[in-house]
Amino acid sequence: MLNHRVISVIKRELKEKLLSKSFIIMTALVPVLMFGVIGFQVFLQMYNSDDAMTLIIASNSEELNTQVKNELSAEDFIKSGHYKIDYAVVEKENFSKYLDSIKKNLFSEKINGLIYIPDSSFKNKDLQYYSKISKNQEVFNKLNKPINNALINIYFKGKSLTEDEIGYIRSSVEFSSFRISSDQIEKEGYGNQIISFLLSFLLYLSLIILGQTMLRNVVQEKSNKVAEVLLSSLSAKELMSGKIAGTTVTGVIQMIIWLLPVIFTASTSWFMLPQELLFSISLYKILFFIITYSLGLVTYLGLFAAAGAIVDNDQDAQSMIWPVMILIMIPFFISISLQSNPGSIIGRVSSLVPFASLIVMPARIALVDVPVYEILLSVFINILTLIFVVIISGKIYRLGIIATGKKPSPKELLNWIKTSK
Amino acid sequence: MLALEVKNLTKTFDGIKAVDSVSFVIPEGSVFGLIGRNGAGKTTTIRMMMNIYLPDSGEVLLRGVKVGQEFRDKVGYLPEERGLYKKMKVLETLLFFAELKGKKGKAIEKSAMEYLERFELTDRKNSKIEDLSKGNQQKVQFIATILHDPEFIILDEPFSGLDPINTNMLKEIILELKRKNKVIIFSTHLMEFAEKMCDHLAMIDRGKIILSGSINDIKAQYANCNVSLNYEGDISFLKSLPFVEKINDFGNTTGIKVKANENIDDLLKALVANNIKIKKFDAHDISLHEIFIERAGKDAVTDPAAEMGDA
Repeated sequence: MLNHRVISVIKRELKEKLLSKSFIIMTALVPVLMFGVIGFQVFLQMYNSDDAMTLIIASNSEELNTQVKNELSAEDFIKSGHYKIDYAVVEKENFSKYLDSIKKNLFSEKINGLIYIPDSSFKNKDLQYYSKISKNQEVFNKLNKPINNALINIYFKGKSLTEDEIGYIRSSVEFSSFRISSDQIEKEGYGNQIISFLLSFLLYLSLIILGQTMLRNVVQEKSNKVAEVLLSSLSAKELMSGKIAGTTVTGVIQMIIWLLPVIFTASTSWFMLPQELLFSISLYKILFFIITYSLGLVTYLGLFAAAGAIVDNDQDAQSMIWPVMILIMIPFFISISLQSNPGSIIGRVSSLVPFASLIVMPARIALVDVPVYEILLSVFINILTLIFVVIISGKIYRLGIIATGKKPSPKELLNWIKTSK
Repeated sequence: MLALEVKNLTKTFDGIKAVDSVSFVIPEGSVFGLIGRNGAGKTTTIRMMMNIYLPDSGEVLLRGVKVGQEFRDKVGYLPEERGLYKKMKVLETLLFFAELKGKKGKAIEKSAMEYLERFELTDRKNSKIEDLSKGNQQKVQFIATILHDPEFIILDEPFSGLDPINTNMLKEIILELKRKNKVIIFSTHLMEFAEKMCDHLAMIDRGKIILSGSINDIKAQYANCNVSLNYEGDISFLKSLPFVEKINDFGNTTGIKVKANENIDDLLKALVANNIKIKKFDAHDISLHEIFIERAGKDAVTDPAAEMGDA
């Protein structure tokens, strides 16, 4: 099949794609975009903490105020002066009067908020927050721990507890995750979740972009009649194989470029990642990913090529995109849902279902240790799917590329598949 | 020696027979015209010869062997609707199409440059196809058809949309290729071109071949008792003459068929006697147009079945 004609088509496709501006921009832009999104989130978080706040903390006793003040003094947002906190001692029965007196300032946001720590909080830890914007998670997150600590300090004072004991009481539970694989138990951070998401996302992006390009090119070749000239030199099968092979090579090159940071991080110690972002992904898994990706590309490009051959203008092409897109999108959403529950039954099943397997299995493999037989089974299923798609698409393409007139009905399509040699 | 044999090709679209049991032969070294009106089935026949359409039945033989990839490699094909990659550059396009035919390297590049020179496109060799005028795109398309030096050149309606200068250039090149002993097959609805260019032909009408063979044989067969006349005056009186069988008025030329050979002299006498100014009087001559109309019917709405007789 790989004769000089197919190679000529592959060469032309590669030349057209690899040197095109859109390829270079996409290849460079996707990593920039991804890091950009992450960076923007970090920036947003930092910007949030930069919001200056003027608060009043009121309680029924000087002692509590002092304790809170002590605890808070160690916090960055106090040291940096972004949070200015005044303290007030208010008798329990006078609190509503006190509140009335500063209500105007709260409403005009001269004072952003009033935190009231009544003595009853030694029983139930219920605090009150008065503000124009009363649901400010930012404030609650920042003040929760110091105030809790202050309450604990006073509560256990004189109960003859050591510093260590108090320290223990103050702390809350933390989960560390350990991933069990066949040969080892290793501590795991969020790294693999991020990698799994990254792989799913790149797979999705790449399939959709390259698929649509394929569809557009086929429609163009058909509508500007170059297809007929080509078919006087080579068969439709050779033309389709060349186009798919050319695009697949382009896609794999692009994917490897995108994955370079991951590959480097996995195989060298050039990049130091923080503990919780460490991921463990072997080069075998990356290799499996790239192989599955290639199989997936060929499969989906076959579908897109057939879809393009059926229509002869861009508008009709839009309506042909959807059935194929759904075959990509549903598995993608399953992949994303795996992030929160990597062992879900729907993930396991769909990673062995034709088409879905191409997208779900790579995400699963990054998250959990998939048994070898399942991996082999998925490769087997993927290859069968690919052969099936290429045969059927080849038949549709063969007839579609030279058909004129209105697009065929499903019944006619079925007839094409039956009659085409 | 036969180069190509087309045997009983049939193709049906949506229950309509576009091509119905079409057969003809193309001898080595001939310029072959496939002649018929628009929609007669010319393009469908050519596409089946090119293996672009699969025939419902019938076959095409290249020197006795069913056509396949070998034929594709030997043929240069110019489809009716021209098509090039718009974003590719001129020289790049030419080399790509030659490479598909298995021709690459310095020699083919040199040859491409020579053709570009001849078609006055040398300075556009690095222009994108979409930046060329339509006429220049057609030139590039034509160069791409013949650059790989094919044995067979198939041109589907090559003259449609060409300006007079390009038409002449194309004619010149066809004749030049003929001298190189290539087989040239073209389809056209323009009888005058076919008449001037080809030595063999097949006439197709409503999917069926109504006539085929060498143009000399066909003419000899139909020209008997026929006169091709250019004149000034009123010749309506001819209708009443007993020896005149048929009068075909084509505006410019009138074809008159008489009953027997000796009636030709009678016809000339009658014309002179009636003071008709004769500009041209060709005995035993007939135009392809006349033959076509005789075979296919003048207005194409007559019952086709009656016309198909011994096709």
